[in-house]
Amino acid sequence: MAIQRRRFLRGAGVAAALGLAGCVSSNPLSQSDESGDETESQQSPEIGDDELTLATTTSTYDTGLLDELHPPFEEAFGITVKTLAKGTGASIRTAEDGDADVILVHARGAEDEFLQEGYGVNRRDVMFNDFVVAGSEDDPAGIEGMESATDAFAAIANSGETFVSRGDDSGTNKKELAVWDESGVEPGGEWYQEVGKGMGDTLVQTNQIGGYTIADRGTYLSMRDEIDLAILVQGPLEGGPTILKNPYGVIPVNPEVHGNANYEAAMAYVGFLTSPRGQDIIDSYTENGSQLFFPSALGEEANFGQYVPQGYSAEQADSLSKRDRQFLYWVDTHVSNDY
Amino acid sequence: MSLSVSPGEVVTVVGPSGVGKTTLLRLLALFRPPDEGTISWDGDDAWALSDRERLAVRRRVATVFQEPSLFNASVERNAEYGLRVRRPWSDRIRDAISGAIGVSDASRRVRDALETVGLESLRDQNALSLSGGEAQRVAFARALAVEPDVLLLDEPSSNLDPRNTAVLEDAIADARDRGVGVVVATHDMNQAERISDRVAVLLDGTIIETGPPEQVFESPADDRTRRFVTGELVY
Amino acid sequence: MFPLTATLPDASWTYFFSIVAVSLYVSGLAVAVSTLVSLPVALGIGFSEFPGKRAVTAVINTGMGFPSVVVGLLVLLVVSNQGPLGDLDLAFTPEAMVLSQFVLATPVITSITLSAVEGVGDDVRDAAFGLGGTDADVALVVIKEARYGIVTAVLAGFGRAISEVGSILIVGGNIVYSDGTSYTRTLTTAITVEARQGRYEAGLVLGAVLLVLVLGVNWLGSWIRSRGRGRASGGGRRSP
Repeated sequence: MAIQRRRFLRGAGVAAALGLAGCVSSNPLSQSDESGDETESQQSPEIGDDELTLATTTSTYDTGLLDELHPPFEEAFGITVKTLAKGTGASIRTAEDGDADVILVHARGAEDEFLQEGYGVNRRDVMFNDFVVAGSEDDPAGIEGMESATDAFAAIANSGETFVSRGDDSGTNKKELAVWDESGVEPGGEWYQEVGKGMGDTLVQTNQIGGYTIADRGTYLSMRDEIDLAILVQGPLEGGPTILKNPYGVIPVNPEVHGNANYEAAMAYVGFLTSPRGQDIIDSYTENGSQLFFPSALGEEANFGQYVPQGYSAEQADSLSKRDRQFLYWVDTHVSNDY
Repeated sequence: MSLSVSPGEVVTVVGPSGVGKTTLLRLLALFRPPDEGTISWDGDDAWALSDRERLAVRRRVATVFQEPSLFNASVERNAEYGLRVRRPWSDRIRDAISGAIGVSDASRRVRDALETVGLESLRDQNALSLSGGEAQRVAFARALAVEPDVLLLDEPSSNLDPRNTAVLEDAIADARDRGVGVVVATHDMNQAERISDRVAVLLDGTIIETGPPEQVFESPADDRTRRFVTGELVY
Repeated sequence: MFPLTATLPDASWTYFFSIVAVSLYVSGLAVAVSTLVSLPVALGIGFSEFPGKRAVTAVINTGMGFPSVVVGLLVLLVVSNQGPLGDLDLAFTPEAMVLSQFVLATPVITSITLSAVEGVGDDVRDAAFGLGGTDADVALVVIKEARYGIVTAVLAGFGRAISEVGSILIVGGNIVYSDGTSYTRTLTTAITVEARQGRYEAGLVLGAVLLVLVLGVNWLGSWIRSRGRGRASGGGRRSP
């Protein structure tokens, strides 16, 4: 059935107005939906009857997107998804330990490392949005409207105003550090606070302190009601610098590395996310009237870059002798001697 | 040193506080093996027996210490404790589940024991709410209820007023008349004189003299005994 | 319950009751297993004299303050696919949460039980032995005499477990199925989700429910104790 959490949030006001009776009366509806869903998955055990552990970022989880995506996936494949909402770094570590089957994350550099070390296979682009620099509306560092994120960061550093960092090795944290790197400022000192929390927590804390932070647009939009922070530097979705781009990728765990990984379910998940239906759900998911994520899996143009680590040289892969060696290696390892 | 007790006999061990009367009783009750010497039962060295046999011997003895040490439960439950531990576990578990109070024979013994110390009216009361004298009498009844062959009493009336002491001494005499061998450790010479068939004097870590009370108190053989009973020897 | 419906964004009753159920299941089972382990350990330590006794007691008391996130990390390393128990597939399951809460609750229960057991005087043990009790009978007497202290110990262990968040967040993964039923989300970890998303009111409502649970359990404990005391003074058949 999908208790669509966000939708419920919208309904919560109504429920409050109607009081207990209103809420109770709305309940049988959701319950009947739920039981219908259960019988349906019971009717199709031949498809899967399976469990899939997804390690993903708090940004996809807290925005409520996964609550829209998972019910139709579960219904279609008979697979129950168990979602671990962590930072990108923690998600990748969980997958490296073989405790997750698939990851949905947003830090291309870390994803590439994950692929190169053999932990993941068959990466696909899924969607994107962008990061924004948010801060209190009075903007003491005066960065509002800057067109360069690096300049804005440098201005914050120079003004000594508080900057709140996730400090949790998440995708957002990695992006933030990349921007500091570009700006030539070494973040540190009393104005730089690492909170080690998720995006929502960090926004809330920034709001209370009255400082600046970098946030993915999705989480920012989904939390606009709870905080008074304004977007001071836009990301590329609103004409901002491309350094603030935020692409999400999905990577199944390599079943050759972790034999217990549910690779088939993971590939089904990748297939669903990158299918026209999955992409459509992403495209139509809105919060407070704003679209949070933009699908990027499908396109008429070939996009080989999504499958391999960035900078992976086509020439190098194309080298005939290397191909030959690889083929001979396959023959060597996969064909028995007495074939 | 040597100390023996026969059925239907009251032996008192007298001596100043701290001389080792309690230790002696604990050895007799088979709490722990003696460093040297033997504790014999019907001629058998108790510590040479198997654990099972020694338990059987221990269960012919009941010990009452100076402190009543009652359990946080009703007087009746306290008094029947010794009987309860002698029953098979299967019965005890069944009783615990059904809340039953054991077999009727056990109930009778418990009633008799409480009657002997004059406390049957308090049997449903919690033992910890009793006065010191009542508590000591319950402790005594708890030992009587198992109908032991030998009763070991450590300073049984040290916390009692004269009236309670009289009740207790009557009960001791009563047990002796029923053929129980009683060993009483006491520092109270008058009590020893009143209740004993034989008196053993424990001084300087050993029994220096044993005999009927008249002999020990009137014409002691050992000079230390004379000095102790006359109060000349102060410890 | 009225404000709950109003402020709990994820509120479906299914969601709410399932996290309460997971909380009670995990903490209850962990405390039950802890008690089964703690009792014999406390009796063993309390009854015997051995050279390292003070050190062992000190270790147990230190264990009471063991940081739950550290326990969570260690348990995760153990149950992770790469860990020694990896083959059992326990990572991110309620059973892993039970394991970590077991580790957290056991020192608490052992320590308080130990002091309750040591509070039962030697004289009571001697009385039981002197009436023909075996070692098992003596142990049973001590347990029964220390029963209110043991109840306190179990409640303290439960209090530590049910209100704990650090370790179960790490080993349980805070998972909710997409139909809104909790798999490894408890009241405490649900509060972290609400707090993370800035929905403090919903978090507070869940916190109030947690508080009511803890208060209820403690009330039950003091009721058991006062009932025991009531019987102690008023009579009745309570076994020693």
